[in-house]
Amino acid sequence: MNISLALKLKAASEAQHILDEIAGVTAVVIATPDGFEIASASLRSFDPSRIAAMASSISAMGSVVSQEARLGRCKCITVGTDDGFALFSPVRNEEAELVVNVIANAGAVLAQAMYRTATCVKVLEAHKSGWLPPRIGE
Amino acid sequence: MGVGKTTAIAAISEAPPISTDVANADTSVAKATTTVGLDFGQLTLDNGDRLRIYGTPGQSRFDFMWQILIRDALGLAILLDNSRPRPLDDMHTYLDGFADALKEMPCVIGVSRCDTHASPSLDDYAYALQARGLVLPIVAVDLRRRDDVISLVETLLVQIEAIDAGVSP
Repeated sequence: MNISLALKLKAASEAQHILDEIAGVTAVVIATPDGFEIASASLRSFDPSRIAAMASSISAMGSVVSQEARLGRCKCITVGTDDGFALFSPVRNEEAELVVNVIANAGAVLAQAMYRTATCVKVLEAHKSGWLPPRIGE
Repeated sequence: MGVGKTTAIAAISEAPPISTDVANADTSVAKATTTVGLDFGQLTLDNGDRLRIYGTPGQSRFDFMWQILIRDALGLAILLDNSRPRPLDDMHTYLDGFADALKEMPCVIGVSRCDTHASPSLDDYAYALQARGLVLPIVAVDLRRRDDVISLVETLLVQIEAIDAGVSP
């Protein structure tokens, strides 16, 4: 799967915007469906590669559950915890599929984070790079 | 990764297997899709017991799934691809990843593509296990063949029954 620089830059910009705009959000990771981080932003030191792998697993499980239950396309998975929540949202851009993962502490408002994450998904799905990396050998 | 875990479960599952394969972005492996969550299949044994089989992603970055899926498991089958650059290292990675479970849990090693890649031999695997103080069954398998996968599962079941009967496997 080739992901253009333009899409990576757009993903990085969106990750930073979510972090800046939503109080309580501590980290945002945007990853490929097989668990490779392509963009991240956080308030503290953390390992985005680990979060990226978990985001891909949880997103894939969400897709299977929605498929088995005949509930249509999985749009969001929420993990609520004592100290906050994590949101996982799949992105279906024509160039590449992605997963947006937002981690927030107890100070964040879930609905606000969900709304902003859904906006991020729409932006990434609508993004058209108009450029693809050349294949090796070309 | 790419050893054929999803294929093996599909070969023996009575119901359509549940799979969480997605597009593979890892260009170091020539593979269109890869498992990122789990595979699930089901098999009814001759005595009527139903066996649930779960496959994990193979890559180390998904080792959190290994710990989730090994909980309450009856046994573990480690599948290795002999055509990979360092299959013995792959085995050590999984033995390390499942080290706690292996203290008590029955385990079988299945090695695929031995017909096209003779080295390392099954004896080499046995010596590597012995060096870690482990004695486990090692079986050459073609994971596309139902009979081979069933044979692997039966080898594991024999160990499970031996432990249940209080006999050292």
